[in-house]
Amino acid sequence: MKRALSSLVRLFPPAFRERFALEIAEDLREDWAAARARGRLAALAYGTRAALDLTGAALSEHWNPTLRPTPRSAGGGVMRWLTDGWIQDLRQAARALKRTPGFTLVAVVTLGLALGANAGIFSIVDAVLLRPLPFPRQDRLVYIGGTAPGSDLPSEFDLPLEFFIQYRDQSKLLQGLAPYDDFTNTLRVGDRAERVRMAVSTPSFFPTLGVKPMLGRLPLDEDEDRVALLSYGLWQSWFGGDTAVIGRSYSIGGSQRTVIGIMGPHFSFPRDGVTLWVTAVIRPEEITPGRFQTFALVGRMRPGVTTADLARELAPLAQRLPERFGGSPAYTELIRKHRPVVRPLEAQLVGEVVRPIWLLFGSVAVVLLIACANVANLFLVRAERRQRELAVRRAVGAGRLQLFRAQISETLVVALLAGALAMVLAWASVPIYLEFVPPDVPRLGDVTVRWSTLLFTGVASVFAALLCGGLPALRASEPSLDRLRDGSRGSTARRHWARAGLVVAQTALALVLLTGSALLFRSFQKMRSVDPGYDTRDIFTFQIAPEGEQLKDARSFAQFHLAFMERLRHLPGVQSVGIVDNVPLNESLALARFLPAERAGETGRGVPLGLTSVAGDYFKTMKIRLLAGRTFTDADQLTDLGHVIVNRAAANLLWPGQSPIGRRLKREEIPVWETVVGVVDDVLQDNFRDPAPPAIYYPLVGQPPADWVISSPAYVVKTGRAETIAPEIRALVREVAPGAPMYRTYTMAGLAEQARLPLAFTMLTLGAISLLAVILGTVGQYGVLSYIVAERTREIGVRMALGAEGRRVQAMVVRQGARVLLVGVVVGLAVAAASTRALRSLLFGVEALDPTSFAVVVGGMVLVGLLAAYLPSRRASRVDPIESLRGE
Amino acid sequence: MSNLEYHVLLALAGGPLHGYAMKQRVEAESGGSLAPPPGSLYRVIARLMASGLVAETDPKGPVPPHPGLSRRYYVLTAAGRRELAAEARRLKGAAALAEKRLRTARP
Repeated sequence: MKRALSSLVRLFPPAFRERFALEIAEDLREDWAAARARGRLAALAYGTRAALDLTGAALSEHWNPTLRPTPRSAGGGVMRWLTDGWIQDLRQAARALKRTPGFTLVAVVTLGLALGANAGIFSIVDAVLLRPLPFPRQDRLVYIGGTAPGSDLPSEFDLPLEFFIQYRDQSKLLQGLAPYDDFTNTLRVGDRAERVRMAVSTPSFFPTLGVKPMLGRLPLDEDEDRVALLSYGLWQSWFGGDTAVIGRSYSIGGSQRTVIGIMGPHFSFPRDGVTLWVTAVIRPEEITPGRFQTFALVGRMRPGVTTADLARELAPLAQRLPERFGGSPAYTELIRKHRPVVRPLEAQLVGEVVRPIWLLFGSVAVVLLIACANVANLFLVRAERRQRELAVRRAVGAGRLQLFRAQISETLVVALLAGALAMVLAWASVPIYLEFVPPDVPRLGDVTVRWSTLLFTGVASVFAALLCGGLPALRASEPSLDRLRDGSRGSTARRHWARAGLVVAQTALALVLLTGSALLFRSFQKMRSVDPGYDTRDIFTFQIAPEGEQLKDARSFAQFHLAFMERLRHLPGVQSVGIVDNVPLNESLALARFLPAERAGETGRGVPLGLTSVAGDYFKTMKIRLLAGRTFTDADQLTDLGHVIVNRAAANLLWPGQSPIGRRLKREEIPVWETVVGVVDDVLQDNFRDPAPPAIYYPLVGQPPADWVISSPAYVVKTGRAETIAPEIRALVREVAPGAPMYRTYTMAGLAEQARLPLAFTMLTLGAISLLAVILGTVGQYGVLSYIVAERTREIGVRMALGAEGRRVQAMVVRQGARVLLVGVVVGLAVAAASTRALRSLLFGVEALDPTSFAVVVGGMVLVGLLAAYLPSRRASRVDPIESLRGE
Repeated sequence: MSNLEYHVLLALAGGPLHGYAMKQRVEAESGGSLAPPPGSLYRVIARLMASGLVAETDPKGPVPPHPGLSRRYYVLTAAGRRELAAEARRLKGAAALAEKRLRTARP
């Protein structure tokens, strides 16, 4: 403690320290001894007080020195320069900046905008990409999936349950493993019934992640599928935080489950918005290998194991699956192609959003560079103006280092003010910005402007200060002593290369960003003009989930929905109504393998196709073109006549080049043959990027019973009142099926907009960033040219006195601006051509080197740049030769 | 002039003192209300020296003995003496005014 106190003396400036350090140390020693004699507490009290006093006194001594620093004696050198007297320099810089409020304002706002954009995007990067998942030793958590190059499966997929059983039983490198999935289903508490998002897994889920419930207990194997855990949010909103809920049973997803625990408020795995976790039982003896029903697997590796180690261990385990579970020869063939995919859980969760977020982060960093170039230019001009003063200071003995530091102190003050402005901007704008971020970005709920943002902004500010202060400070530290001669102006050319260089850099960087924006804009336009195969206008869609009486069997299920459609048709303004199991742009199709009658014997080698069911005027309502045959009649819906409709893609896969009408096909695992009665056009199902999947449409009764019980088809309603019809339908649902929740209510136009949202979001954000870049760049160019014109007034005056016309002077200035601009454009083009490849996965229907985009951007850039040169040139052409020469 | 500055000048009015003795005397003479820790004390001394009210001196004549390191001693300058006298007068006037006003203000 005593030593710590004495060391605080070092906080004083050297002049004070040299004079008083020994005495202070001596007094501290005596006071300490006296206080110690009075007891431990007294000593502690004294120590605290003295420490505060020393720190405070040292700070005031820095800010407002009582002792003038003695002239630098020999020794100390660079270290002393680095540490001493900063506060005085900063204070002096603050005073100097206060004298030029206009300059300071422009510099602070320029830098503040750029830093603010950085702080805002950083807060998102921090929450989504940098902060570790909230699980203990989360670095050992992995996602396990699979890939089967050379098969007809997607490039990467989740795994059927036999993989889970095999890995769980035989892996030695895994400490825990759990399959998981999430979906919406009905939660019923008393009269209240709603669709909520829930996750299903095995009891091993929680120990694998390393989480415990806040209240209650975790599920055990003997709980089988009879228990559930609530999220903190659900517990609060549905049960008012009542602990008595533990032990009660509710209807969850159609079966009674007992609540055994409440999870803490921060647990929302596998995704935001999960409100319930239910358990499932997996029995190895019930496994049929090769089903398309798959789960994501989360595993916890033992300490010291890498993802590569684990993948190497799992590969042979997967190869032994046919040995253990049997399956067709085709299955064995497929397994032979199987390779495990193992990657950190964090990377898996973040997934696709990484790219746009890093892209935006990179872009705002570029804007910061441009802003720095601008402010550096401002400071260069300022240093130029102060050359005489600086030269005087140098002449009377100020060291280079002193001048350098005095100059960079000004940029530091500006950057710190800008940093403060940036924090305010980020704090105010991030919550608004988040409203527009696509909801599929994980962990968005965690985004806040917080300490890490402050730290980042602080570091970025200092970095910016060095960047924009370095060049001017170097310049200021070696003032030309010529400047002491009265009226000397020095040569102009030599001094301009630095500023011209900065303008070139700005132009180039702005051009790169602008090119990126243009490419995204073109992609967005292309995406808007995509024909998805259906019309999204004036369609309202929703789902209802009736339970119980109406749904005894397939026929009653179909009857219920046909009757309900009839009611909907009679609502005012409704033109047509249809049903589909999976509405495009909202849900994906289920997958199964299908065999055409011509290849009936090839079990296991069926074609993987999407399947769904439709009823009513689905195709008419969505304006999906009927290419051949007919659509379903009510007779098809009520009795299973074995009729199906295929889309064009499916027809081409099953019967290439032949008419599919009247042909037969079957789902591999179901021994029922279906006859094709119609062919419809393809539709985009999941989004506007992926090609339309091949699909088989069943009538309502045509599905296997196990499916229709849990299925809750979506209604599509064509009406001019799509935006406002929901309350009327809700009333109708209450009347026809009281207690059936109505959910997934959208307009098709809204779904289409949502599907384009990720691209729109990236495009708009990058667009705004590029706009900022272009404005900053143009202002920079304008500023430099204006300054050059002002400086050359005399020269221009002479030229005009000698007979040069205003027009020619104007052309001269524009030429000067254009030269710099062109160099910038050429450099920018080269950088853009090399870097737009990074955008490729975001683009749609546009090449990374799209000539139109490049041409438009270059044209725009040149136009704006010439405008920025034109304004100063006009001023130059109006120079009055007499006035300009009078100054001499 | 701050309270602490006043008390430092007052302490030195009795003759040259080193820093620690100054602190002890200030503490005694302020009735314990001022016990400046070293940081504040020496900053005040520095300030008073800079404005010429206090100077450093060689310890001559009877000075309190000190067991530790040899100490620097401080003494009141002529300007310091004048300044202290003026401040004392001001305080006296202010005190008299206060007493008078408190008397008349009583109901």
